[in-house]
Parts: sequence; structure tokens; C-alpha cells
Amino acid sequence: MTLTMRSDLDTTVVTPTIRKAGRAVRFWIISGGTALIIAVIAIAITGIAGAAGRPLSPTDPHPTGSKAIAQVLRAQGVTVTSVDTVRSARDAAADPASTTIFLVDDDGYLGSSSLRELARLTDNLVVMTPDFDTLDTLAPEIALAGNVSGLLSADCGLRPVQQAGQVTGTGSGFRLIGTDADATQCLSSGNDIHSIIQLARDGKHVTVVGTRDAFTNQFVQDRGNAALALGLLGQTRNLVWMLPSIDEAAAEGYPSIAELTPGWVSTLMALLVIAVIAAGFWRGRRFGPLVVENLPVVVRASETMHGRARLYEKASARLHALDALRMGTIDRLGALCGLPTVASVDDVIRAVSRDTGRQVPDIASLLRDAEPGGERDFIALSDALLDLERATAAATRPSRAAAGGTMDSTTHAHQPPPTATNTKQGE
Amino acid sequence: MVISGWFVVLLLAGGVPIVLTNDPAWLGYWLAFVIVVTIVDLLFAASPRRVRLSRDVPVRVRLGETTAATLVVENTGRRTIRGVVRDAWQPSAGASPTRAPVVIPAGERVAIRTALTPTRRGERRSAHVTVRAYGPFRLAARQATIAAPSAIRVLPPFNSRKHLPSRLARLRELDGRTSVLIRGQGTEFDSLREYVRGDDVRSIDWRATARRNDPQGGHRLMVRTWRPERDRRVVIVIDSGRTSAARIAGEPRIDTAFESALLLAALATRAGDRVDLVIFDRRIRARVQGASGPELLSRMVDAMAPVDAELIEPDWAAVPGVVRSVTSQHALVVIATSIESPGSSRGLLSVLPQLTRRHTVVVSSVTDPDVLEASRDRSRRDEVYLASAAERALLDQSRVAAAIRQLGGEVVTGSPADLPPALADRYIALKAAGRL
Repeated sequence: MTLTMRSDLDTTVVTPTIRKAGRAVRFWIISGGTALIIAVIAIAITGIAGAAGRPLSPTDPHPTGSKAIAQVLRAQGVTVTSVDTVRSARDAAADPASTTIFLVDDDGYLGSSSLRELARLTDNLVVMTPDFDTLDTLAPEIALAGNVSGLLSADCGLRPVQQAGQVTGTGSGFRLIGTDADATQCLSSGNDIHSIIQLARDGKHVTVVGTRDAFTNQFVQDRGNAALALGLLGQTRNLVWMLPSIDEAAAEGYPSIAELTPGWVSTLMALLVIAVIAAGFWRGRRFGPLVVENLPVVVRASETMHGRARLYEKASARLHALDALRMGTIDRLGALCGLPTVASVDDVIRAVSRDTGRQVPDIASLLRDAEPGGERDFIALSDALLDLERATAAATRPSRAAAGGTMDSTTHAHQPPPTATNTKQGE
Repeated sequence: MVISGWFVVLLLAGGVPIVLTNDPAWLGYWLAFVIVVTIVDLLFAASPRRVRLSRDVPVRVRLGETTAATLVVENTGRRTIRGVVRDAWQPSAGASPTRAPVVIPAGERVAIRTALTPTRRGERRSAHVTVRAYGPFRLAARQATIAAPSAIRVLPPFNSRKHLPSRLARLRELDGRTSVLIRGQGTEFDSLREYVRGDDVRSIDWRATARRNDPQGGHRLMVRTWRPERDRRVVIVIDSGRTSAARIAGEPRIDTAFESALLLAALATRAGDRVDLVIFDRRIRARVQGASGPELLSRMVDAMAPVDAELIEPDWAAVPGVVRSVTSQHALVVIATSIESPGSSRGLLSVLPQLTRRHTVVVSSVTDPDVLEASRDRSRRDEVYLASAAERALLDQSRVAAAIRQLGGEVVTGSPADLPPALADRYIALKAAGRL
């Protein structure tokens, strides 16, 4: 078995060279690159216009934006500055007297300190649909009073409102709950709910506006909406349009993790991510192709037996199962009693009765006639069959049974059927 | 291209300047540095393509034994290959180690020894060799896979050869016996010798006694001795069909059939009989004819090695023709198949009369010890059902066995461990009875 085969192999390299691999994927590189270029061009044409999309933004030409108002105000000589942080608002607001700040903070990014700082920057603060926290800080006398819809008519001495006459009221309503401030309530929708409330305190005005739709590009032309918006925002030469960004929220309150950690941490994290990816390539690179292994079929021979047993059990085929047990037992009993294989059941019953001394009807019932009524009967009959075999084995081999006692009888009681072993027939 | 663990370590080392300088730009500097160093490393790595391979692989090995395959890698390039070589053997070839670190200077060669301990019979293959050559910094490597087909034939284990000495001893006992019990058609006259007490008086040769002139006077009785017939034919037909794929005690039936066929062949060829082997399902899968002595066994294991059971029904109708093509004389035909149920054995039973008319037929079949075990265990409800199914299986077997006997065949059954010696014993018994 030490015979070996020596063979020189012609070295056919399976791995393609870089040039060959490049040629194979050239089509995909070219088509992928073309698709990328087309996508970039498409985005350049359409994407930039659709990039902005914030409601009530002075640069947003969409229906929900407010570019129309900002443009008209600019045309009339008002400097409109769009800002997103308190710091840039401070830069834009030169003089509190000549500055109006229009605050649109739908997401509640600004905290109370920022709001107070904003209020300090101007004498005329217009707040669009504020939430509870904003109201609590800027105008604690005013409470939210649900949604408002429909047309609202001018009903107060506020000049912009009077000029407008009738406006689209869709938006929020407010209710005055305090008494210590000088308050003007306008655009009532009944039930003591107003859509515009202006508070005057120490020469500073805070105007809370709920008529949100009136300020949008879509509705600004309806009724007196334009007059209202231009009147409220165009009172001074300088308008700071404040749309706080998420950075402003981060600047609030506790210092962020980025402020607490040293500057190199994020860089190190980036390096770690790159290293983890590199480690993935290091460990994941296959050492040549896999080798095919044809696995053999694995079928256990006893599977049919187990399947049949489950079938009997599922169908509760007790009589059928018991008959199989009986036939096996009768075969073995016949062999034990020295009967030929062709012996009938009656012969076996008589022989067993003779050898064991049991009554013929009992044995006949066990071996042939009894029908199991339930599982309990079935198991009892199976045990009785084993018992009968054991007794017959003990009776037919008196010498060994006497010498070895009952222990011995169990070992040969349940011999395999004669045909399952290496038989000596035909010799 | 392959990157190594050192590449990752070098990347991580960039953390030091990043922390010390506290400048994000260093991430970019470091990445650029690592990439440049890696490219330089790759440029200086040896080409894994410029190698010449040759193999030294044993032609055959017995299942369960270990052998060594040698792969010689010659570096035909100009640089030293520092790297790892993988010889891609099938998992069932049991190769170890599968990866060998090598340093091959230019123009030199290195032999890589791989121990093979196959776990399955048949042809075990190695498809290719993969060479990975690192650069001087060991940051990155070039890798190439080179087709290098090779194969080793794994032979059946022939574990049952342990039974051979005792069976041979029994075979020798048959020689020179005078007992009338073994005297029959199949025995041949061997020699004359003096009568000793205990010899059968019927074997006394009176003429020889009369002819014998004893110098000391008086008459010594001469008896004839007999020896078992020689030069008989034994044809072993192994069924490699559907039922032979089933496993009993973790071993496919066909493997047990191989074991018993090998033991029988070893025994019969020593006894002077001619053994032929046919492995058959719908076509002849393997065939050994006209060999004898040690050559017979080696040709048999060689023929058996690549044969696995196929999931098709064997064409029993063709078996008499196959046997006829092997021998036209009277022979002992051993059919190794499974006798499980009357349904699946119908094909065998239908052609058996044709065979038994001319030959002595022995059907050998593996029985499942689990079935016997299951028929005895009846303590729980589901076990009682299982026992009844087992009894049913045993009854089916005994019905088929009875049918085979009725048609003039003989049946040998046994568990995978018992079947080979049982078949050998049956052969000896048949030989003693002169029925070959």
C-alpha cells in the first residue's frame, strides 16, 4: 500500500490576473459609472429645487413655504434675514427697536434660555403657533386653546388686523388667562378663543399668531392674508426670520457628549471602524475556492419501522399492532414447543397449554381472540404475551430453569424468531 | 490580494498620533501612509503564479489508515516566496495540516507533507493548490489558485479479516477427514492410509488392504481418505441498489456486503476455489474475474472502492444473465442484498428459480439489531407500538426468507458485525457437505 504516484502538474493558474478580472467586469464598471453620472445630473437639475422643504421657510417656494411674504417684504425695503441659531439671530438683530423677530419653532428646538435671549434682542417678537413650553417662557398669560378653522374677521384695534379685514383662520387658537399684562386679543372664533394675542410689556411687544395657513405661499393671496402677514412682519426695517435648527436644541441644557470628550475621540472611532472593516477583509478572505464534496445518502434502515410504529400509534390501530405482536409470539412459542413452522395456531395453543399448565381458553383468548378495548388493555395484553413466552420458555427447559432460576429464564425467553438468525435449515 | 493581521495592527497604531496631536487630519495622513506602505509591500511580494508543482500521492489507502501525500512546490520566480500554501483536499480525505507555512527561495523547491486519514471510502480528490505570497513587511499578500488535480483511492477496511485465521483453521480440519458425513458428491478421493481406531469402517478399502504387503506380516487395514472438492466456482453478486444505501449501525448495507464478500473471497481462494465478483444494480458497476490468491483481494478492494449504492431499483431480471456470463458451470452464487419485505424482494424471488436450477444460491442479508432490540422493549405505550412495528418487520423478513428457501436458496442473515463470519461459516458448511 506504499505504492505512490508521482506526477508533475502543468501549472494552470485558476485565479484570473488583474487585467483579466478587469476585462470581465469592465461592462459593469462602465454601465455602473454611466448610471452614476446620469443620477448626478438628474439630481443637479431637479434635486436642488426640492431640497428645501421646511414649512414657513422664507426660502421655500413650495405651497407650505413662505417665500412669497419674504420676497414682498424685501421688495418693500425690509431686510429679511433667515437664521437658524440664536447666535446668528444676535448678529442679525442690530437694534431692538428697529428689529422684528419672526419665530417659527415647530419642533420646539429652543429651550427657555434661548427664547429669553431672543425676546431680549427685539421689541417686537412675533411667534407662530408656539407650543406649551414656548408659551410658558415668552407669554405665560396665554394658554393654548385647540385648533381653529374657517374665516375670521377683524375685531380689534391692531392695525395689521384691521387692514386685513378677513383672514384664513386655519391654525391654532389661544386664550388669555393672566391679567397683569396689557393684552390685545384679535380674531376671535368664539368661546373666548383668539387667533392673535399681542402682549405689551415695558415697551416690548410679543405677538402670538395662530393663523398659520395665512402665512403660507398657498393661502397668502386669499382674503386679507397678505395684509395681515406683511403688516405683522413689516413693522420695522429689519426682519429676522428665525427657523431654529437641531443644533440649537443640542446647545441647550446639559453639555453634549461631544463637548465632554476630547477632540480625538471621534477621529479614533473613525479609525476603529476602518480597522474593523479591514479586519473583516483579513479574516473573511477565502484561501482559494471551496472543494466540492459529494456527500453520501444517510438513510437509517430502521426508519420504515419507526414510521410504521408512529402510523399505528396515530391511527390507534391497536388490534393491528397486537396481531403483529401475537404472530411473532406464536412463531416463537411454536419453536419453543418444538412444533414445525407450519403448525396452526390451535396446535400452538394446545402445546403451550400442555407445557405451562394454563387453561386453553385463556391462552386462546390471549393469542387470538381478545380485542384490546383501550390503550391500557393493549399494553396489558402485550405484557401478558411476554409473560406467556417467558413461562413457556421456563416450562420447556426445565433443567436450565431449575438450575438458573427465574433470572435465567428471562435471558432466553425472548429469543429472536428462528428465521432472523443464521438458520441451519436445509442442511 | 490578501491583507494580513499586521495590516490591521498598523491601522490601529494610527491611534497614537491621532491622540497625541489631537488633529483629525492625522486620520487621513495615516490612512495614506498605510496604503502607500501596503502597495510597496505588494510590489515587493513574490508572484504566487510562478511556481511549478508536482505531487507524490499514494495510489491507495485502506479506510481508517493514515498515509502521507507530498506536494513539491518549486519557485520559478526571481523572489523568495514567503507565505502559506494550501493543498485543497476534500474534507473527507482527512488532510492535516491543510495549510503549510513556507519559505521558498528563488529557484528552490520545498516538499510539503500532508497526512491523509480518509473518513470515507472511494476516490478522494484534491482539486487545486492555493499559494499566498506575503511582501517583505507581511502587510499584504498576493494569492493565486493553481489547478493541481490529484486523487487517492480509499479501499474498504476489511475489518472482518480478523475472522480469517479461525475460519482457515476450520477449513484445514475438513482436509483428510474420513467421516462419511462429509463424503458426498463434492468430495474427492485424497489418499490411502492405515486404519486407526475411530475411522469409519465403511471407508476401508479392501482391495488396497489386500494389495498391501506388510513386511512384518499380518494385515493392516487401509482406509481411503477424502478431501473437500477443489476448483469450484464462487460467484459473489453484490446488490448496489436502493436498499443497499440504508445504514445499519452507522454502516451502509453495501459496506457490510463488501466486508462479507472479502472474507468469503479470502477464505475461498485459500480453499482452492475460484472467486468472481460482480457489483450490480441496473448495470455492472464493478467486476473482478479470473484473479486468485493475494491478487484477488487487492483487485476486489480496488473494484469496490469507488462503488457507492445508488438510489435506483436493481434489475434482478438481468442477474441470471450476469451469472451466466461469469460461469456456465455449477457454482455457489452468493447474493448480497437485503430481504426486508415481500414487496421489495419480489424481483429477487422471481429470478431465484432460474439460479437455483443450476447453482447453489445463498442470499446474505444484514439485519438490524435495533429491530430485534425494539421488539423486546415494551415498557411504555409508544414502545409497545414500536415493538409491534418491529415484530411486523421481523415477520416480513421471515416470510421472504421462507420464500427463498422454498425456491431452493439459502439465507444467511446477521448484524453488520456477525454477517461476514456467518457467511464464511455457511461456505465452510456447504463445502463440507460437498454442495459446491
